[in-house]
Amino acid sequence: MTRHRAAARPPAVMRAFATLVLVAGALVAMAPFVWMIATSFKQPQDVFTPTPQLLPLSSETGAWAGTFDNYLAVFDIDGFTRAFVNSVLVVVVLVPAKVLLAAMAGYAFARIRFPGRDRVFAMILATIMLPGVALLVPKVFLTQELGMGDSLSGLIVPSLVSAFDIFLFRQFFLTLPQELEEAAKIDGAGWWLIFRKLALPLAKPALAVVTITAFIFHWNDFLWPLVILTDQEKYTLPLALQALASGRVAQPHLVMAGAVVAVMPVVAVFLIFQRRILDGIQFTGLK
Amino acid sequence: MVKTRRAGVRSGARSEAVAGWLFITPAVAHTLVFMAAPAVGALLLSFSQWDMTSAPTWAGLDNYRAVLFDRDLYPDFLVAVRVTAYYALLAVPASLLTGFVQAYLIDAVRRGQGVFRLAFYLPMITAEAAVAAIWKWLYDPQFGLINGLLGVFGAEGPDWLGEPAMVVPALALIAAWQSGTAMIIFLAGLKGIPRNLYEAAEVDGARRRDQLLRITIPLLRPTTFYLVITGVIGALQVFGLVYVLFGRDIGGPESAGLTYVLQLYVTGFRDGEMGAASAMSFLLFAVTIMVTALQFRLLRREPA
Repeated sequence: MTRHRAAARPPAVMRAFATLVLVAGALVAMAPFVWMIATSFKQPQDVFTPTPQLLPLSSETGAWAGTFDNYLAVFDIDGFTRAFVNSVLVVVVLVPAKVLLAAMAGYAFARIRFPGRDRVFAMILATIMLPGVALLVPKVFLTQELGMGDSLSGLIVPSLVSAFDIFLFRQFFLTLPQELEEAAKIDGAGWWLIFRKLALPLAKPALAVVTITAFIFHWNDFLWPLVILTDQEKYTLPLALQALASGRVAQPHLVMAGAVVAVMPVVAVFLIFQRRILDGIQFTGLK
Repeated sequence: MVKTRRAGVRSGARSEAVAGWLFITPAVAHTLVFMAAPAVGALLLSFSQWDMTSAPTWAGLDNYRAVLFDRDLYPDFLVAVRVTAYYALLAVPASLLTGFVQAYLIDAVRRGQGVFRLAFYLPMITAEAAVAAIWKWLYDPQFGLINGLLGVFGAEGPDWLGEPAMVVPALALIAAWQSGTAMIIFLAGLKGIPRNLYEAAEVDGARRRDQLLRITIPLLRPTTFYLVITGVIGALQVFGLVYVLFGRDIGGPESAGLTYVLQLYVTGFRDGEMGAASAMSFLLFAVTIMVTALQFRLLRREPA
């Protein structure tokens, strides 16, 4: 009988072995980040050591030589600070608007009855199939024609609606009980009021997943800003980092400080909301 | 605000229809302008000659013919196809295998599942540009961490991004590092396998390895299938990583890192050949659909 019960879970020895392998694996997975952070605190002359040196030690004396200067230097680079501000601006304007539009559409497709609804939804759903790259050229042209080429609005407006987010919200709102709106409708509340006061507060899990994934995606996005922007003043963080990394002189200490700046906001958000995001991926990934 | 909305009895169905359309109008308008119109535009453009300054002229199938067969006009097209195919061939299995092992082990341990999940997923949320900047430094032939560690063990590491033969394997190693999505989805798949199957197998005296080969792996077939499709589609679109890794030296040594989308970008946005770039886009789109269809068919043929 005991043997039978043990079958559900691996025995202790194997669990210990698995843990050991996982710890080693996690160390390997974290090594690039550790190396990035370590390098970002080193002084230029201590970066190029033939034997890897984890701590920021002086290559001459071996004494502690950690410094915060690289971060100051990176933000001293004109374009980098501006790029940081640009990235923040884009995300702050784009993400809330994108989430709201998706929530509204998702709500209507799930809970409001109107002619043509399912056909329109099918049309929007079909656009998920189109790979972004396939539309790149005409989308760039269109954005320029609309007067948004080489501007932050060119990063914001074309990305305001995501079919996938609409789909996600619709699936979520479908799970709410049928009677949800009944009482409010009898009270004479309009649909907007019901949506805002009743449906949105209930949709917190979906709102969180969509907001965070949108933030991560647009903070990290590289291809679209690259094809839209030429003026360095408008660059977002990934483009500034790219410019920094392709300098003629190798400056790993600066590049790694820049990478830390680019990575940290996303990591922070992720650490706070990781359970929601990872469960969300499981949910959306397998549907 | 509340008072005005309480306008009393409305003709219910009609106001509901109006409300519905008002809710979806922004999304629908945006989709028409920024998805439907570009989709039609992309198709038309792929049949046109256009440099973005003068008006496009009709070119029929010329773009497709030139891109596919004219090696004088597009000398690197087949190189890019080869590089991308090779990359997908290495990167997708590398990422899936890593993700599976991680998920299998995480599923087996009791403590720390959350921490391991987090550690293996972090590489996925890191910006492409940052991933490239970090790995460029890790791969530095003289002072990078990887060759430095190899040196500690007395081995001499290659010039990862400098030797043409090493470029795609080096990219695949980064893909293996970015195993987070595969790990999370395999984990969900593993949790979906009924425990009593293992219990029954145990009663029949099946060893753990047999359980893995006879129960776990076969039952994960739909999960694996999904990950292979999305993995291949993703691998076909790699861009930012190689763009930043090789900087000015676009495509890397002997174009060994010239991926399909990088080639598309150069054709369209460096050389200004929008028609040819659009044709390349549609060829990629067609391949994407074919990959999906092919794998669906393969899956259906084998009874799970």
